[in-house]
Amino acid sequence: MAMTQQELVDMLSSLTLFADLTRPQLEQVAHKMTEESFPVGQRILRQGFTGTGFYVILDGEVAVKIDGEERAKLAKGDFFGEMSILLGEPPVADIVTLRQLHALHLGGPELEGFLRDHPQVMYRMLKTIALRLRNASRWRS
Amino acid sequence: MPLNTHDKAAALAGVPLFAGISEDSMERLAAVAGEQAFGAGQFIVRQGQVGTGLYVILSGSVKVLRGADELAHLGAGEFFGELSVIDQQPRNASVQAAEATQVLALASWDLLGLLESDPQLALNMIKGLVARVRSAGEQHRH
Amino acid sequence: MAELAQRPFPPGDYPVVVVGSGPGGLQASYFLKRLGIEHALISADPAPGGMFRRFPFFQRLLSWTKPYAPVPRDNRFYEWYDWNSLLADEADARAIMPTLMDGTSSFPSRPEMEANLAAFVERAGLRVRYECRWEATRREGDCFVLSTTDGEYRCQVAIFAVGIAEPYKPDTPGFDLIAHYADTRAAESYAGKRLFIVGKENSGFELATGLLQWAQRIVLASPRPAKLSVNTHSLLGVRARYVQPFEDQNLGGGVFILNASIDRIERAAGGGFRVLCLRSDGGAELSVDADEVIAATGFQCPLRDLQQIGVAVFGRSNLPAMTNYWESATVPGIYFAGTIGQGVAGMKKYGQPANSGAVHGARYNARTMVYHVATTHFGVELPRPEVKPDALVDLLLTEATRAPELWNQKSYLARAFSLDAGQGIRDEGIVPLAQFVDEEGGAAVAIAVETDDTGDIHPAVYVREAGRPAIESLLASNPLHDFRSTENRAQLSSLLSGASAGAIR
Repeated sequence: MAMTQQELVDMLSSLTLFADLTRPQLEQVAHKMTEESFPVGQRILRQGFTGTGFYVILDGEVAVKIDGEERAKLAKGDFFGEMSILLGEPPVADIVTLRQLHALHLGGPELEGFLRDHPQVMYRMLKTIALRLRNASRWRS
Repeated sequence: MPLNTHDKAAALAGVPLFAGISEDSMERLAAVAGEQAFGAGQFIVRQGQVGTGLYVILSGSVKVLRGADELAHLGAGEFFGELSVIDQQPRNASVQAAEATQVLALASWDLLGLLESDPQLALNMIKGLVARVRSAGEQHRH
Repeated sequence: MAELAQRPFPPGDYPVVVVGSGPGGLQASYFLKRLGIEHALISADPAPGGMFRRFPFFQRLLSWTKPYAPVPRDNRFYEWYDWNSLLADEADARAIMPTLMDGTSSFPSRPEMEANLAAFVERAGLRVRYECRWEATRREGDCFVLSTTDGEYRCQVAIFAVGIAEPYKPDTPGFDLIAHYADTRAAESYAGKRLFIVGKENSGFELATGLLQWAQRIVLASPRPAKLSVNTHSLLGVRARYVQPFEDQNLGGGVFILNASIDRIERAAGGGFRVLCLRSDGGAELSVDADEVIAATGFQCPLRDLQQIGVAVFGRSNLPAMTNYWESATVPGIYFAGTIGQGVAGMKKYGQPANSGAVHGARYNARTMVYHVATTHFGVELPRPEVKPDALVDLLLTEATRAPELWNQKSYLARAFSLDAGQGIRDEGIVPLAQFVDEEGGAAVAIAVETDDTGDIHPAVYVREAGRPAIESLLASNPLHDFRSTENRAQLSSLLSGASAGAIR
């Protein structure tokens, strides 16, 4: 069901990444990012490819795969793409849709400016990435 | 030799983590940064301890250890301990001086205040973390 | 009754039904006809042209056609210089647009574009059942049944080229009282009026620019600042030709561009309207009186009851969720042509979208989509000419240098060749790039043209080994965009020798 702008802003307010934003700030976010839809079995991030974008999942599920092996699943509220963009290197993993995906997209070159404009989002992102680092460090060799 | 605030600011400015930070933020950090020295083999932080801040290596080098596993080797200009600042969880690794090492210690509460008001610092920290996640992931593949 | 029988495509059973006689429907119908696939082409309109029968109101099109180009008009490569003609193989049906322009601009006027599409119908020999409005849809077994004002059409495959031209107004109180952009009248009728335009995208600025010399005062309002294409360095945002209202505002000529949301619109005593706004900075209330209020608040895709038969939709334009071949992601057999194709994002490298929303992108999408429909639903075998191994590198680099499909749809459409050891090198034609790089098919190579975040345009080669997803390699750019350099030849040769041990030696 296509959401109205109001419904989209309502949904954004329920996501952890945007939990600290006021309503006008949420509207700014909704204005800067574009809604996209991907069918099942589609790669959104591709290992080794340039030009990655930043995505926030609104609905659906994706798998994070390295060399064909599934490592993690991401769903509503999760984000991806920022690592490649911030490091300036292609992704080391594929992100493949497991179900129809509805996501917000921001072009790679715009991410840094976006994070500067919305430090609260950046802080939430920082916490999520810190958690990923803790989890990554727990993997056994 | 103890460093004055000006020298500390200069030392911090050379660290990639603080690249592009406003002068004002740098002054504030330098004013509260504590200098510490460790001999070879001494532990700077221990796994499981409650973290109180992050450390910037001024000179020397350190080993990052979990149990007997050496996870990383860090040198001058690099930093460690930031995870606990961000998520207030206990240290997930120990850090031991590999040689005579001098560090600047920045307390969590000072840093947190700055993170929320200085987007450049947060951006630098995210980039640092992201690089670490990637290398941690790569370690796992070997 | 006799009239109904004389119009083409009476209700009944057809393998394919195409709905819409704008550029998308016409282009899809052309290729179906070319491949000999029987289909009905129906349209609610009385004549061809789609949105170009009415929009834009006050301006020339934003897409160019250059009558004087480095390439002759009967050459495929001329398409890169002509973004408004539809594709055709017949000499008199291709590159029609430049023949209809009067030479005063390289951007056609709306009537010139409308005439272009009407001429295409005639010269390509297309038949259209006009004034046949699609109203409802249902499934019966393997078929779709489209109910129209003339009766029912049953088909295996339905292609909807219905555009994104259904006016959208938010349901904020008072919007039901005001006109939408689509209802804009002749410019003179706004003489001396105080005008309030809700919306600061291209449609709002088109009106403001077109009515600048007529209106007494123009207020444009929306919550967020306008995105200008000169700032985004792309075609995204308000286009350069619409910046005059900004200049007018800056000089104090009677234009006011506000960042404010509309709380409600009321009729004012004595005529006209009162618009109650909330300023975006600080939330202060602002009340503006106007003789006319126009909602330039955009359009939606008129999908009628397609959602009820399972077509998933998304986004503020109510676009269908689609596969890489513009097929509904949730209801196989339903396809989309024309501007709706913009709902397939493709790789969108560096955030740059393709031109699927415009004629010069959508026409290629329509061809690739119809070829896909033909091969998957109707068993049509498309020619896949064999290419000699020593000709492949040159062919790939020439495509990158000149192919209009690759230049108009960067990082979105690619030219592909299969490298199967047994069959030799075969030309697979123009493929959706996102499909090519993800499908795990036989050994193959595809070339596309891409732009990076510095604006550098260069070829990108995607080499696929059998059973594995493709690997990307970027080739060198060139100041005059001729990618057939020694360096590129060498790099391409070495990439190919790795993947295709059988096909190339």
